[in-house]
Amino acid sequence: MTTAPTVATLLRSPAWRDRVRVLAGSVPREAVRGVRLLSPDEHPADAAGQVLVLVGALRDGPASWRVDALLRRAADAGALAVLLGGEADLAPPTRLLCSRLSVCALGTSAPVLALAAEAAVQVAEPEVARARALLRVQTALAEGRVATPEGLVGLLTDVLDAPVSLLDAAGGPLTGPPVDPPRLTEPVLQVETADATTSVARPVLLPGARASQRWLVARVPASSPEAVVLATTLLAAGAAALSGWLATQRLGLERDARSRAGLLADVLRVSGEPSAELRRRSSTAGWSLEGWHVGVRVGTVASVDTAGLRDDVVRTFADAGVDAVVVEHGDGWSGWTTTTREPTAEQVRALADVLRRAHRGLQGLTRCWTGVGRPHPGPAGISRTLEEAADAARLAAGRPEQGHFLHVDQLGMAQTLLAWTRTSTFEPAARGLLAPLGDPDGDLVRTLAVFLDAESSLTETAAVLGIHRNTVAARVARIASLLAVDLTDRDQRLALHLACRAVALG
Amino acid sequence: MQVSAVDVPPLVRGAELLGSGGGGPPGPAGSMLLREIAVTGPVDLLGPGELDDATLVCAVGVVGATSVFEEELPSGREFGRALAAVERWSGRRPGALASIEAAGLNAVSALVAAAPLGLPVVDTDLCGRALPRLDQFSIAVAGIGLTPAVLALPSGQVVLVEGGDAVAVERTVRSVLAATSGWAALAVAPLPLGVLRPASAADTIRRCLDLGRRMLALPEAPSPALVAEATGGRVLAAGRVVDVLRHEGYGFGRGSVTVRDRRTSSLLRVEMENEFLLAFEDGAPVASTPDVLAVLDRRTAVPVTCDRIRRGDDVVVLQLPAPEFWCRPENLPAVAPRAFGFEVEPALLVGTP
Repeated sequence: MTTAPTVATLLRSPAWRDRVRVLAGSVPREAVRGVRLLSPDEHPADAAGQVLVLVGALRDGPASWRVDALLRRAADAGALAVLLGGEADLAPPTRLLCSRLSVCALGTSAPVLALAAEAAVQVAEPEVARARALLRVQTALAEGRVATPEGLVGLLTDVLDAPVSLLDAAGGPLTGPPVDPPRLTEPVLQVETADATTSVARPVLLPGARASQRWLVARVPASSPEAVVLATTLLAAGAAALSGWLATQRLGLERDARSRAGLLADVLRVSGEPSAELRRRSSTAGWSLEGWHVGVRVGTVASVDTAGLRDDVVRTFADAGVDAVVVEHGDGWSGWTTTTREPTAEQVRALADVLRRAHRGLQGLTRCWTGVGRPHPGPAGISRTLEEAADAARLAAGRPEQGHFLHVDQLGMAQTLLAWTRTSTFEPAARGLLAPLGDPDGDLVRTLAVFLDAESSLTETAAVLGIHRNTVAARVARIASLLAVDLTDRDQRLALHLACRAVALG
Repeated sequence: MQVSAVDVPPLVRGAELLGSGGGGPPGPAGSMLLREIAVTGPVDLLGPGELDDATLVCAVGVVGATSVFEEELPSGREFGRALAAVERWSGRRPGALASIEAAGLNAVSALVAAAPLGLPVVDTDLCGRALPRLDQFSIAVAGIGLTPAVLALPSGQVVLVEGGDAVAVERTVRSVLAATSGWAALAVAPLPLGVLRPASAADTIRRCLDLGRRMLALPEAPSPALVAEATGGRVLAAGRVVDVLRHEGYGFGRGSVTVRDRRTSSLLRVEMENEFLLAFEDGAPVASTPDVLAVLDRRTAVPVTCDRIRRGDDVVVLQLPAPEFWCRPENLPAVAPRAFGFEVEPALLVGTP
């Protein structure tokens, strides 16, 4: 790694050695940020970290007040050192002034322009090295010699001469040595130093996305600020390339998802014999319409990127040993496995166990609930088993005690009946029935539901809701009057109880 | 007012202060004035408004190497000879005298000249402080000119210069002095007071008297702040002289004095050319001509001259306001730092344009 020179480095360099000597002041330790020519009467505005090279002699010689004034102007502008033509000793007050202003006065009898040029080359060297490294990375990318994330990480590791890792959105390692993940919620460049090592983490962002899709992390020695700067630069180039690849990948993903969703919709509509065109499309997609199908429905929350995670879902199923069709469908995924013969009860149970294992894997990806349907034959069987799976999944959502996984066989008749209250005819009717009570999530609907669950016990209802018994009594009276029903009538009570369940599940 | 014996010590001290490190030592002239006063009585010192405009006023003083002046003592008749030559040349007798430079030696010399002649001295002078060159005299800067100018040498010779601009007169006078005695009594261009008054600096001799009285009233080893208060000036630095540089061959008496301030440790470099001209604090200009820069001994508060200052001296460096005449924008360039070869802007206490 090329480091930025200090004044001491310049003084030791072949071009300056034996030609430049320190006339006054101590040699500053800071890195030289630039070399600039200065005319005798110039007032440099900003020369922070620079070495100023005086071009042209100062009038009246080295003892003149002009030397003092020049050094003061240089010091005010933040210059580290001033190189003067001539090696004559400076006057004692000027030497005192150099110490006081912390500016170093250098003198030379050699041509100052040549010395300035040599110094400028040295100062620019780290930047040139950085540009060369960046060019190497960019050329490899542009020429397609590096076209995979693995190749990119290898190239960056090589150019940077330091370990580089690619992490997924969750901080898990994809390529390269495992490293402590950066702060994942802050998708910005992160530079952290610990134990003499500086970690430079650069998020890979897709346009418009707020969360980082991947992280590139390089670990460089903390003692080398140049290495940190170089890592920052190179990771930026790498992140741009990765972002491009991810975008392309995503585009394909979305296209596939759309075509799968369209095909699934058509398959679900099949009641009798599917058309030849549908058979052809299904076969192209690798879906078998014939045989016995067992449907799986995985529900998740609306914010989850179902297209983006589909590959992970497929992989999870495959890891568990299930060869299933998986389609992004609403807020979740629908899928099924197909066998040529009707599966035995034993096989169905074994499949359910495997799917339960797959479900546990899925829960590592995102919050989800899974339902499994019964085996059904033929093209129309897909839609039937998926409907059952969907019912089971809907119930599984509210069943933490079963790990949010339900097989439709586990459901009692009552549960299944209840699931049917979720049909498009019943649910609006249920809502209509309870409408006079206002907000379905409001106090009155809740009080009614609990009251009916509690077998019309005011005391029990009060205990569940954590309110006073009299309040419950008052609410029940109000509910009866609002709905104009008799809560002692068992038919009316049953209807209301079902309506409450349907609304609560919705 | 009348200048009597008691006024001489404060006049001398004030003249030393406004001498700005140069202007020649007023001490010997003070002794001469005491002798004259003992013979002729007090000398009349009139304000510039106290005589009518028609009064012919001739400015007199001593020019040249004032150190030689202390060795080759004047006979006392030099001023009389110079004024006689002016009278013969112009055909008129001056009704009053003025000082060419009411600071240093020449704050006193006009009174010394006036006493035996029985003439009053008008308190308006051609410098208002100490200045090194004749072409910087106020009447030269105001465009009136210096001629006829008469030099009366201690050897008895009289040289009259007529014609030529102020720079030519300066050159002529210097070459005569260099070739002869080193110093001479000078009398320049007698002018009606009405003409002289707007082209000169008013009340400088009385400023010397006033400053001198205040300084003599200071206690031993006064604090820098007390000195500043007494003189109406500003303290630029107080501490030891860490270095004195004297450059050979450029101008006369060129060099610099560096004082490290005891309190701030800042380095005050004072550039001099016969007088202290310009002060840089840590390399940045902070005070300049035409303000008066004075270096005082810290213990005695006695002004230290450019040629006497030494490394190790414990001093207070003061900046005093310039006379009003030099603060006028049309006059300032003649005495600003650039007029002395310093490419910096004037840094004045008041009236900076």
